[in-house]
Amino acid sequence: MSQTYSICLNTQDGKEISFDCTADENLIDAAAKANITLPAVCHEGNCGACHGHCKSGDYKQSSHSSGALSEQDEGHGGILMCCTHPQGDMVVEVTSDLAHITSGPVPEPVCEVLAVDDMGGQVRRLLLKVLPDESGAINTEFEPGQFMELEIPGTDIRRAYSISNAPNWTGELEFMIRLQPHGKFSSWLLNGAKVGDRLNTKGPEGSFLLHQAGLAPRRFVAGGTGIAPMLSMLRQMAEFGETHESHLYFGLTTEEDLFAIDEIEALKASLPNLTAEVCIWKPGDAWRGFVGSPVDAFKRDLQADLGKGLKPDVYLCGPPGLIDAAEAVAEELGLPYSSLFSERFLPG
Amino acid sequence: MFCYQCEQTSRTDGVNGCASAVGNCGKDAQTSDLQDLLIHAVKGIAQYAKRARDLGVGSNDAGKFILYSMFTTLTNVNFNPARFTSMLVEAAEIRATVKKAYEEAAAAQGVAIEHPAGAAAWTIPTETNELLAQAEMASIRAGEAEVGEDIVGLRALILYGAKGVCAYAYHALMLDEQSDEVYANIESTMDFLANDPTDVDALVGQALALGHTNLTVMGLLDAGNTGKFGTPEPSAARISPVAGKAILVSGHDMADLAALLEQTEGTGVNVYTHGEMLPAHSYPELKKYAHLAGNYGGAWQDQQTEFANFPGPILMTSNCIIEPAASYRRRIFTAGPVGWPGLRHIENHDFSTLIQAANAMPGFAADSEEETITVGFGRDAVLGVADVVIDAVKAGAIKHFFLVGGCDGAASGRNYYSDLVDQTPKDSVILTLGCAKYRFNKKDHGDIGGIPRLLDMGQCNDSYSAIQVAVALAEAFECEVNELPLSLFVSWFEQKAAAVLLTLLALNIKGITLGPTLPAFITPPVLNTLVEAFDIKANTTPEADLAAALAA
Repeated sequence: MSQTYSICLNTQDGKEISFDCTADENLIDAAAKANITLPAVCHEGNCGACHGHCKSGDYKQSSHSSGALSEQDEGHGGILMCCTHPQGDMVVEVTSDLAHITSGPVPEPVCEVLAVDDMGGQVRRLLLKVLPDESGAINTEFEPGQFMELEIPGTDIRRAYSISNAPNWTGELEFMIRLQPHGKFSSWLLNGAKVGDRLNTKGPEGSFLLHQAGLAPRRFVAGGTGIAPMLSMLRQMAEFGETHESHLYFGLTTEEDLFAIDEIEALKASLPNLTAEVCIWKPGDAWRGFVGSPVDAFKRDLQADLGKGLKPDVYLCGPPGLIDAAEAVAEELGLPYSSLFSERFLPG
Repeated sequence: MFCYQCEQTSRTDGVNGCASAVGNCGKDAQTSDLQDLLIHAVKGIAQYAKRARDLGVGSNDAGKFILYSMFTTLTNVNFNPARFTSMLVEAAEIRATVKKAYEEAAAAQGVAIEHPAGAAAWTIPTETNELLAQAEMASIRAGEAEVGEDIVGLRALILYGAKGVCAYAYHALMLDEQSDEVYANIESTMDFLANDPTDVDALVGQALALGHTNLTVMGLLDAGNTGKFGTPEPSAARISPVAGKAILVSGHDMADLAALLEQTEGTGVNVYTHGEMLPAHSYPELKKYAHLAGNYGGAWQDQQTEFANFPGPILMTSNCIIEPAASYRRRIFTAGPVGWPGLRHIENHDFSTLIQAANAMPGFAADSEEETITVGFGRDAVLGVADVVIDAVKAGAIKHFFLVGGCDGAASGRNYYSDLVDQTPKDSVILTLGCAKYRFNKKDHGDIGGIPRLLDMGQCNDSYSAIQVAVALAEAFECEVNELPLSLFVSWFEQKAAAVLLTLLALNIKGITLGPTLPAFITPPVLNTLVEAFDIKANTTPEADLAAALAA
C-alpha cells in the first residue's frame, strides 16, 4: 500500500477543496474517488484540460505532451493533474471557481444533428440538439467556454469541440469545426453528416470559463476556431447585458480563412463595450486590417492598458503556439499569470 | 471593506465586523466598497431630493431609485459588482436631474439656493479604479476617529434601518403602493445622515422617526398584498411534492410569484414556494392556482442543499441569496434587486426562459405522501375570532401570548427559538412570522379550544399584522400593549429586521428579547440607552428567558 497524501486545491475564487491521493494515483483519478469531478479529457497528458499550478509539495509527473504543458510553464510549477503523482502533501491552484467544480460523472447526452453549414474558411457550423433522457429531461446545462466530446456515429472515435452558442434551455449546442485534411471527424462532417443523425456526446467539460466576479476589462485572443468559446462567452455577456469593456483579437492566416464575421458584427451591435479586430498573418495586397498575429495586436494594447493602470482578464484560445506566445507577452510586460485564462487546441 | 450590518458579521479577537477580502456573507471587498459608494451617492441624491420636495417639486422617480439601490445593498441581495458600477452612473444622472429641479424651483420662488456639501457635491468617477480609490470616504466607519464608535453605531442603526424600510417600500411599490410621505421621510433620513450627525438625542430621535415610517411602509405593503391577492385566510400548505415539472420561487416578492403563476397556468409546470414565500398559500388570489403546488424546504440558510435537490429551476426574487453551488448555479435565476455574477437575471416579469428551463429539467417523478402545515393567520383571521380569544383569556384558558419571529440563520445558537417554543406552557399562544418559524412550524403544537397554539401570521413584514392584533387586544382589555400578557422574542439577521425593531421601539413596545446575538454596531453605551428606554434584553437561555417572561 503506497503512502497517502492530502491534496488541497485552491480555487480561482479563493476557496479550498481537499481530497486524498496515494503516490501511485494521479490527482484526477483520486479526486474522482472522492466524488470531485475535475476538468480532464484525455487523461494521458495530451489535451491540457487538467492544467493546474503546484504552490507547494513534491510530486512526480509522468510523460506528457509539450503542447499541453510547456517546459517554461512546468518550470513555474505548472502541472497536468492527470499526470501528477504526489510525493507529499500538495497545494494546487486551479483556474476554476469552487462553484464550477462538480461532483459525480460527466453527463453523456445523445444529440441529434439540426444543421451542418459552411461558414467559409473551411469551417463548418454543426448545430446539435440534446435529446431527452429517460426521465424526460434535456441535459443542456453548460458554462460559456466549455466543450463537449462528440462521437462519430458508428464508431467509438471522439473529438472535443468548444461550444459556441450561449447557454440555453432549448438543448441547442453549436460548434465551429475547421475541416482538417484526413481528419476523421472532418471526413464525417463533409461526407456523412446529415440532419437527423444521432451522436453520442459527453460533456460539458472544461474549466476555460469567464471570470465573472470581477470588473476588469476583458481581452479575448483567439486563433482560428479558438473563436468558438469566445463567441459563447460574448453571446452570454450580450444576453446578460454585461458592461465590461472588451476587445476581441481574432487571428487567421489568410483572408481565405475568414469566417464568423457576421457573428462578430452581431455581437458588436448588442455589446456596446465590445470592439473587435481581425488579425491576418499573411494577407493579400487588398487587406487593410491588422497584419500579424493576434498576440502582436494584444501586446500593443496590453502595454497601453498596463500604462493606464488597467489589469485586464485575458482569455486565450487556439493552438499551443499562440497560448505560449501570449503568456510570454504577459510575463514580459508584467501581467500576472492569474489574469490569464487559456484553452489549448491540440490535434485530436 | 468594512461591514457589520448583519448578524453573522465577524466577531473575532474583540473586533466586530468583516474586514478581509470576503465577508462572511460571501460579498467580496470590491462589491462591499461599491455598495458603500452607492449609499454615499444615494445620500447626495437625497440632499437635493429633500430640498426639491420642500419646494414642492419632489420626484418620486428619484425616490424609486433610492428604494431599489438601497435594497441591493441589503445582506444577501446583490453580489454583482458590475450592477453597482452601473447604478453609480445612474445615480450621478438622477442627482443631476434632482439638483436642476431644486435649483430651478428655488430660483423661480425667490429662495436662496443652497449648495449642500459632502455627498451632494461628490464628483462620481466613471473609472472603476478611481471610484474604488475613494471607498474609504464612504465607509460606514468614516469619521470614527473624530466622533467615536457610539455615534458611528447610531448612524449605522439608522442607515441599516433605512435599508430595511427601502426594501419593504420596494416590495410595496411592486404591488403598486407608494406614498409621497414615505419618499419624503426616506429622503429626509438620508439627508440627515449626509450631514454626519453627532448629537445622540437627534440620532435616537431620527431612528424612532424611521421606525414610524416603517410602520407606514409595512401598512402600504399590507395594502398591496391584500389589495392584489385578498385577505390571508387559514389554509393548508402542502409541504410534500407532487409529480411533474417544477419551479421553485424563493425570496419575498409576491408580485413576481403572481406573474409567474399567471405565465405557467396551463403549461403543466408546478410552482413551489421556498422560505419567506410560504405565506402565498394563504392569499385567495394566489392559492386559487392549482399549480401552486406546495412549499419546499425551509429557511434561506439551507438553500444550498435544498436547491441542489430540487429537480427544476429556481427563481430568487429578493433577499436572501447565498453563493450558488455548482450543482444548481446554471438553473438559478435572479429578479428585481438580486444579483450574482454569471447568473441569468430576469427583467420585467418575462419568465419564458425560466419556464423553458423547467420543461428541460426532470421535475418530480412521483407524488410524495401528502403532508401539510397551516398558514394564513393574518390579523383578519386572528381578530375574526377575537371574541373567542378574549373569552379564553378571561376564562384562564390562555394565560400568555408569545411573538416568536424574525429571521432564521445558520448560527447554532438559533436552536434557542425551537427550544423556547417547545418549552412554552400549553396554555399559551405563539404568534410567529418571518422565516425563523421554520425551526418549529412543522411540529404539532396543539390547540386551545379549537384555536391552534401556533399561529403563522406571514412574512417578516407581517409584523404589521402582529402589531394590529396587539393593539386590538390592548383595546379589548382596556390596557396598554406593554401591559398585555405578551412577550416578544425577535430573531434578527439583516436590515429588514432592523427596520421592524425600530418600529417596535417607536411604538414604545418594551421588554423585547433580541437575539441570537445583538447587532455588532450597537456599542455598550448605545445598548444601555436602549435598555434604559425600552428594557430591551439579549437572549440568555430559553429556560431563563421564558421564566422571566412568564413572571413579568
